[in-house]
Order: sequence, then structure tokens, then C-alpha cells
Amino acid sequence: MSWRDAGPPAALVVIFVVFAALSSQFRSIDNVQNIMDAAAVLAVVTCGITFVLMMGSIDLSAAGVMGASALTVSLLVANNRNDNDLGILAIGVAVLVGAGFGCVSGLALVFLKVPSFMATLGVSAVGLGVATLMFAGVQPNISDAMLKSWAIERFLGFSHLTWIAAACLVVGWLIQRYTRLGRYAFAIGGAEEVLTLSGVRVQPYKIAVFTLAGAFYGLGGVMVTSQLGAGLVQAGDGYDFSAITAAVVGGTLLTGGRGGVLHSAVGVLLVVVLTNGLVQVGVSPYWQGGVQGLIVVAAVAAAVIPQRRRNQVVK
Amino acid sequence: MSVHVDQEPTTSVPVPVPALEVRGLVKHYPGVKALDGVDLVVRQHEVLGLAGENGAGKSTLLKALVGLVRPDAGEIYVRGEPVKLRSVVEAANHGIGMVFQEQSLVPNLTAAENIVLGSEGIAVRRGLYRWNAMRRLAQEQLDKIGSSIDPLARTDTLSFADRQMVEIAKVLRIEERSQHPPVIILDEPTSVLESKEIETLFEQIRRLREFASVVFVSHRLDEVLDVCDRVTVLRGGQSVGEVATAGAVPGELHRMMIGSSGSDDHYHGNAAAPVLAEQPRLSVRGLSGKSFRDVDLDVAAGEIVAIVGVHGSGREDVCRALFGAEPTTAGEILMDGKKLELPGTRAACAAGIGYVPAERKTEGMVGPMSVAENMTLTKQKARCSGPLVAPKKQATLVDSWISRLSIRTPGRDTAIQRLSGGNQQKVVLARWLVGGDIKLLLLDHPTRGLDIGARSEVYRLMRELAGSGVATVLLADSLEEAIGMADRILVMNDGRVAAEVACPNGGKPSPLDLVKEMV
Amino acid sequence: MSTPVTTKPAAAPATVKGGPGPAQRLTSYMPLIALAVLLAALTIADPEFLTQRSLTAASRTAAPLIVLAAGATLVVLCGGIDLSIAALASVSTVFLALWLPELGALATPAVILVAAAIGALQGVAHVLLRIPSFIVTLGGMSIFSAVALVVSDAGTVRVVDDSTIAWLDLYVGGYVPMSLTVAVIVVVLISVVLKVTPLHSWISATGYSESAARLAGTPVDLVKIGAFCVSGACAGLAAVMLVSRQFSGSPTMADNLLLPAVAAIVVGGTAITGGHGSVWRSLAGALVVTLLRVGLPIVGVPSAYEQILYGAIIVAAVALTLDRSKVLIIK
Repeated sequence: MSWRDAGPPAALVVIFVVFAALSSQFRSIDNVQNIMDAAAVLAVVTCGITFVLMMGSIDLSAAGVMGASALTVSLLVANNRNDNDLGILAIGVAVLVGAGFGCVSGLALVFLKVPSFMATLGVSAVGLGVATLMFAGVQPNISDAMLKSWAIERFLGFSHLTWIAAACLVVGWLIQRYTRLGRYAFAIGGAEEVLTLSGVRVQPYKIAVFTLAGAFYGLGGVMVTSQLGAGLVQAGDGYDFSAITAAVVGGTLLTGGRGGVLHSAVGVLLVVVLTNGLVQVGVSPYWQGGVQGLIVVAAVAAAVIPQRRRNQVVK
Repeated sequence: MSVHVDQEPTTSVPVPVPALEVRGLVKHYPGVKALDGVDLVVRQHEVLGLAGENGAGKSTLLKALVGLVRPDAGEIYVRGEPVKLRSVVEAANHGIGMVFQEQSLVPNLTAAENIVLGSEGIAVRRGLYRWNAMRRLAQEQLDKIGSSIDPLARTDTLSFADRQMVEIAKVLRIEERSQHPPVIILDEPTSVLESKEIETLFEQIRRLREFASVVFVSHRLDEVLDVCDRVTVLRGGQSVGEVATAGAVPGELHRMMIGSSGSDDHYHGNAAAPVLAEQPRLSVRGLSGKSFRDVDLDVAAGEIVAIVGVHGSGREDVCRALFGAEPTTAGEILMDGKKLELPGTRAACAAGIGYVPAERKTEGMVGPMSVAENMTLTKQKARCSGPLVAPKKQATLVDSWISRLSIRTPGRDTAIQRLSGGNQQKVVLARWLVGGDIKLLLLDHPTRGLDIGARSEVYRLMRELAGSGVATVLLADSLEEAIGMADRILVMNDGRVAAEVACPNGGKPSPLDLVKEMV
Repeated sequence: MSTPVTTKPAAAPATVKGGPGPAQRLTSYMPLIALAVLLAALTIADPEFLTQRSLTAASRTAAPLIVLAAGATLVVLCGGIDLSIAALASVSTVFLALWLPELGALATPAVILVAAAIGALQGVAHVLLRIPSFIVTLGGMSIFSAVALVVSDAGTVRVVDDSTIAWLDLYVGGYVPMSLTVAVIVVVLISVVLKVTPLHSWISATGYSESAARLAGTPVDLVKIGAFCVSGACAGLAAVMLVSRQFSGSPTMADNLLLPAVAAIVVGGTAITGGHGSVWRSLAGALVVTLLRVGLPIVGVPSAYEQILYGAIIVAAVALTLDRSKVLIIK
């Protein structure tokens, strides 16, 4: 086991112990539950983005996709804007909407050969636009009992959202370990040209990975809607960047081929514990994004150092 | 020993149909004819060696055989049937597979996954992995070649030799696709192996012969003779002969690879004898880096020193280190007696060092930029007055070099990528000359991919420059080029200078003298 | 040293390939064609559009966008991307609003200098730590936003005395907004400096082929840091324009300019792969984007479509201008 695999869990333990020592508030049961609840949505989004990062691509579309799926679900379950009451079906539709957006990113990458960071930046804007259209100036408040209960009701001390996130991680791990899609995503990040040389057509898998990631973002949007009790265009604000941070901090390489869902889960806890802990010890919550910015740059730099060469091209 | 050159078969005994046959294969690249009517016969259950110098067409031929290159003309027959190979998969379906020189394994997958990659069969059902089945499949393949690797080990944790075994096991999967004995191509499989590993590999190859045909390619002629039944020699994109290996010696093979003619052009000798002052222009002592150790090298003003060595000898990295493009761990570089620090390429340029990279299209020139811009990219001062670009000064300068080097271009503002290879290379060379301060030129395969006319122009230019006092380090494209051009030759082997051979006019060494030290 | 080189000509073909194809020619005029078509369409849809008042209003909106896009174009020409420009402009508006009372007229240059320094810092991080530019600037984006929130306490900072930046609201010759004039001057300045110095060669070489540029002794690292520095300075200048128009600074004021700025660069025809393009193209691109923005309501399209349009434009324009020969595997 390399330091890269052992590092993030060790860092998580250290950070947890340090904050627990600094703040009695931090080590309370309530706060631990808070941390887990706060980690739930991020975990689901990160789970999706991990597959994209494993391929060596990047996905900046989470914010837009989540906005669109949040509005979709809030307008399809019982709400104050229309008479829809599709219940669980609405959640399925919202996840499909997310998958659709992901599929568009994948298609743009594969067929138009637009680099993924540009394609997903564009898709994110489209998602936000679609969300704004559905929002139409009036906030849809949800009254669907089941969806609302996700964020409120607890099972074994944790909210349903947390359990959903845990289930997503398990599913993500199974996909990564036991499906051709997951293993090929891993392999594409390792040596895409070898796959082609071995007669594997990688394009369908790339599209499928982006679609899968989109589905996870879609579910993330649904979960945010459950937390907020309403569908907001900004439902996914900041999650795109937080998810990249979490995945990278967990040990997934931006160049692809390394890391995975479990790494990302550790990364999510690291990010959430860090931001929660800083707030508990009195740092302004406004710094949250700044801290993430710093650690993502530091984590990428640390990952790059062992493989630096002179004359290397970095874009 | 028996040497048959272009001999018609005279036997009347019915010969079994060859496993693979190539007739008159032609492949053009812009400016070069990589294959010029190659013929090749691979019989069933034999190990056929393929020998030839760099640029003889070996790699193009191999790529054509596995569908990576589409020939312009000629035929490929598999067991007597004409086939069109458009992709690796089609080649595999016809039973042809290749172990690539740069290994073609996915480093972060398990050995088992790599072995079944692209033809998973029962190991993956409806997109779901069945790890046990995969392990069994991979184990079967590994058993065939008697390897004891753990199929579930991650590939990047295996030794180089073990990875080669995985490659062979992977290639043998093509048996599943075609009912006939496969043809396995091994491209330079020994270049990075230790001698013990090579012995193991050879055992594998002999075992393969039981159920397959093997095409074996190597720079090391002793190996070729050791493991092959027959050797086909390529030169200039054509097959020039065939040697039965029993009793043959490397010298015979090498003579065929080089040929007797064609080298006279190089042997003109340098215009003036190098100025051997008491102090060499470049003096390198104990230079060490990632792939080379303890290199000593002296080059006098006006001298051309060639460094020769096989793939992996470290000579390319030495060359780049002298230009500050590759880090060094120890040793010093002296220019005219003064110590040089080369933290990067800028320092080298400022010290009057020029470098012509082997990869002209990606490293030598900036394709979409104009001839003028490419020519003045380094020595900006030559086209500026003060901090500003002086268009007239630039025009005069560039035009004068275009005519001095006879660069054929519609104009100085033409994008360099629209010129032919030889003219592109002249622009890249001119880049180091326009400043008028060049002291040392590092030429990394300066004639790679050029046709004969362009080559001889580059040779002439090199001699002119040497005559005017420029010190030159040459990594030649072929041994004959090194011998023809150089005043002195350094032979590198496994990162060290193995020998230094004087190479004066009238006393040139033979390629075989050099080959002895190279391997 | 005089090098007596007199190589005889050989019978080598002079050229291999032909000139640019029709598709290439079309994309190189794309921004101008788009501009003309848009102007014509908007004039037909609303004859009032071609009046001095609405054109003035449109060009005032365009000014900060032009400046932002022009600066970031240099980074794109080097083959990178700067996603932090909008956040940097936002934090700069807060700085400017906070510093105006004390520094007065000096606040403007101070903000631009600070923004330039921050940009250069990102460049240094990109070059020295070898981190891809999009991740450095993505990190920068969230750091700048955090700083802006903390410094402004997440609120709008009002400017009481704007006398020292009010000149940007003047009109040149009574019609042309000063801010647009300044924006055009910036574009002219950048393009002239590039043209008359070796910088143009260096930037193009870095963008087209970084390894070739490095092996030719081009100061690749300095060029990239410089590009990020100029990009930062432009973000600072855009912030000054925004504050002069809004009489306040706010931690999210410029955030919604990121997509339009990226869209302006790629619509202008600057290739995201580096090397090919110019600041003039980004000026045209910025005008196209602005016309779309002010034009949508005129033709009766809800402004919610604006975002969708940006997204579609970015993907389409990148697809059209991308240099496919350069990247074999697109991630």
C-alpha cells in the first residue's frame, strides 16, 4: 500500500483528532451527525465525478445538472406550482434528466472532440438555463411527504439522505469493481491507446461514464431539493468544485487511472470534516470555498511532484 | 552457411502453403518511400528473423501486418488467401498478433484483464465481470507459456520480463479467434531485458514454434541468429535477401543490411581537418543522469563527433542533457574551458549551443508558424532593433538564409509545415545559424525521414559548418552515416561510453567494429 | 562569425500541402459574419435597435466583457485557460469600493496592480508546480470568491464618492462611452505590443507546440506567467468599469461574466488548443455575445435562454476551431 493510498485516511484521522481536541462542540454526537448529513449530497456527486476523473477527463457540469434535476423533481412531486404528484417516479425522471445531460457531455467529447472541461462547462450553462426556464420566477415548494422525510427522518441516528449516499457509494464501488464499464473507465485513464490497440472501442464507454456521472448528479439535485424543501436553480452551486476537491484529495489523479469510489468517500469526509471543523473553531464560513481551493491545488501539486520531468508539457 | 539472394524457388516438392506471405508491399509517406515493394514469407512453424537498419522499413512492415498501416500497393496472403487488414482486430481475426516494442499493456489493470482485453469471452457476461472465470482464462494462457505469474497481480507491479510474458499470453488469445496456428510478431522484445530474461524469452519462442509461426525483430544480430530458423534482410524498404541461420555469422547479415553501395556519398571526408587546439570547445566530464552514467566527451572546434548505440543506450538523453533539456545528477560541462550551468534550454542557447531534435514535426518546428518566425525563434536579437521587431531587418536576414541554404519555399511567410521535410530541416538548422554565435551543434537524427537528395544537402551543410569552426555532436540515423560524417565516434552501451573509435579520412572503421561494442 | 554556406539546390519538391481549406477560411471570418448577421437580424426585428441610444447602452455592457476576454485570450493563446477571471474581477470590485475612500484616484491603479499580481501568482503556481491551468484557476476562482465574501462580509459595498472613477462614465465625442474606448485601447495596446515585439512569436510557439518552443530556447515559463499576469490586470480593469457603472462593489458582481467571456474567446475563433487566434477576434466575439444578450429580449426570447445559448455556443465554437491534428486523445 503506497503513501498515496494510506495518506488520505491518515490525514482524515489526524484532522478529526485535532479538531476534536480543539473544540468540544466538534466532538459532540450532534455534530458528527451533522457532518455525515452534510457529506451525503457531496458523496453522491463525488461518486459520479470519480468515474469521469478516473478516465482522465474532467466534469464541471455538476452545478448545472443538479439545478435542472432539482427543478424537475420539485415540479413533478406534489408542489405548490402544479397538480403533479408522481412521487418516486418523479425522482426517477430527475435522475434520468441528469443522465441525459451527462450523455450530452459525453457525446460532445466523443463526436465533436471538444475537450471535456469545455464540453461540461457548456453543458453546465445549458443545465442552469433549463433550470431557470422551469423555475419561471416562482419557487416551487415541495409538499411530497416522502421526499421531505429524506432530510428529516433518521435511521440509526443518521438521516435517510446519509443512508442513500452510503448506498450510492456501494453501488459505485460495485460498478467500479464488477462491471466492464467501471474497469474500462479505469483502463481508459491508464492507457487509452492500448485499449484501442486491443480492439476495444472506447467511445461508447466514455459516453456511458459521463451518463452515469450525470445520473449521480441528478440524484444529488433531488437530495438537495429534499434538504431545501424547494427546487432552486442554485441547488448545485459549488458542488462541482467541492466534488473535484474531494476526489482529488481522496487520491484520484486528474490524469486518470488511479483512485476510485472508496478513495473519494474518504476525500468527501476530509473536505466536510475540514470545513465543519474550521467553522467550529471560529473561522468564518465564508472561507469554506477558499480552503477547498487551496487544498485542491496543494493535492494536485503533491500528486504531480513524483512524476515531474523537464520539458513536460502542462496545459 | 547458405545465402540466397532473390532466388527463385527451384524445388518441385510441394511446399506447404506459407502461414503468411507479403508480395510487393509499398507505402509512401510525404517525402519518403517507407516500403518499396517488400516481399516476405513466413512458413508454418518457423521462427523468422527480420533484420535491417533504422529506416529500412521494418516497423512500417510490421504495422502493415497488424492493420495499423494501410499499404499503398501490394498484397498480404494468410495461408494463401489474400486479405485486407484494416485494424488490429481484423489482423487478430486472421490469426496475426504482435507484441509491441513499447509494451501495450494497461498498467493499472490486472494481468488477467490485460490478457483477455478486447476478447473477454466468458469472463464478462452482460457487462458484468466474473473474476473467477477471468482468472481461469488468464491462467490457461499463462500455462501455455509456462509462466507462473499471479493473474490477479496489477500489471505495473510486475517486472519487465513478466510483463513481456503477459504480452505474449495476451497475443496468444488470438488462437480463440482463428482456427489456424497463429502468427506472432515480436518487435524488439529483448531491448530492455537482462540476459537471463532473454534466455527465458528464447525458450518461450522455441516453445511457440510448436503451435505457431513467429516473426522476431531485433537489433542484436547474434540473438536473431540464435533464435531464428531463417532471416529476411530489409534495406531501403525492400527485401534484399534471405539467410538460413544455421552456421551464419553476424558479419554476413550486417553486410546485407548495409549493402555495398550507397555509402560512397558519405565518405567524402570533411573539408578541413578539425582545429585541434589545446583546449576542446566542449568538454564533458563524468556526466550522469537518469539513463546514462559517467560520460566523458570532448569535441574540438570544427570536429564532428558521432555517438552511436542501440535503442536504450542513453545517447539521446546525453544529447538532451547537453542542451539543458534533461536533468543531470553529476558531472560537469565545460565550454571553451568555462564551466556551464544548464538549468534549462535558455541557458544553453545563450551559451551558443544549438539542438536539432529527432522529432522534427513535434519538437523541431512550430508547424503553423512561418518560415521567418521559425528561423528567428531563438535568436530574436537578429531580427530586432532594441526590443522591437524590425520587419526589414528580419526580411533581409531570413531571405539571405533562404538563399544561402537553398531553402525551397514560396516565401518567408509561408507556414513551415507546407515545406518538404528536407527544407523544414534546413529552416530548423538555420535557426541556430542566424545569430552568428553558434559554437556547438547537437544533431539528433538530423536526416530522419528525409529522402536521399535532402540527406546529402544536410550532410554538405554539416561539413560546411564544421569547416567554419562549429563543433558538432551527431546522433546518426545509421552506422554508415556516423562513419561517413564523423571525425571520431563514441560508442555508448547501456548508459556508458563503451569505446571511442577514431574515424579519420582514409582510416574509417567498418560498421562491424562498432557493432561489436554496441551489443 | 561568417558561415560560408553554399549548398547546391536539390530536386526536392518545394511544397507539399495546399493552403487553408474553405472550412478553415469560413471559421476565420466566423466572428465578423456572425456580427453582421446579428446586427441585421436585430435591426429587422426592431428598427429602433440601430439608434444611438440602444447602441450606446449595448456598448457600455460590452466594455468589461471585452477587457476580460482580451486578457484571458492571451492565456488561451498559450494553450491554457483562465477560469478565475470573473471571480478575480468580483473580488477586485470589492477592493476598489473599499479602497476608494482612502486612496482616491490611486485606488484604480492599485486594484489593477493587485489583480495583475494575483494573476501572475496563478501563473507561477501553474508553471512551477506543473498543475494544469484549469485546476489552478478553478482553485483560484473559489479562493477569490472566499476572499471577496470575507472582505465584504458577504454584502454590497457602496461607493459614496465615485468622482475618481466617474470619468469612465463619460462619453467620447458625446456618443462613444469612455469605457468602450478604454476597452478598445486595451485591445489595440495588447495587439500592437504583441506585433512589434518577439512576444507574438513566443506566445504562438508556446501555444502551438510547447515542446518545440522550449527546445528553441523560448522563455515558455515567463511567457505563460506574463499571460496570466495580463489576464489578471484585465480582470482588475474590468472591475473598475463595473464599479463605475454600479456605484458599488460586490463579491459576486462579475461572476456571471465567466461564461460570456469564455464564449467570446471561442466564438472569436481563438482555438482552445492554443496558438491560433488574437485579441481582435475576442473583441469581435465579445460584441457577438453582447448583441445576443441584448438582442434576445428584442426578438422576444426569455432571458433564461441566455445561459443555454452560452453553453451551446461554447461547445459549438470550440468544436469548430479546435486544432484536431494536435491532440490525438482528447480527454
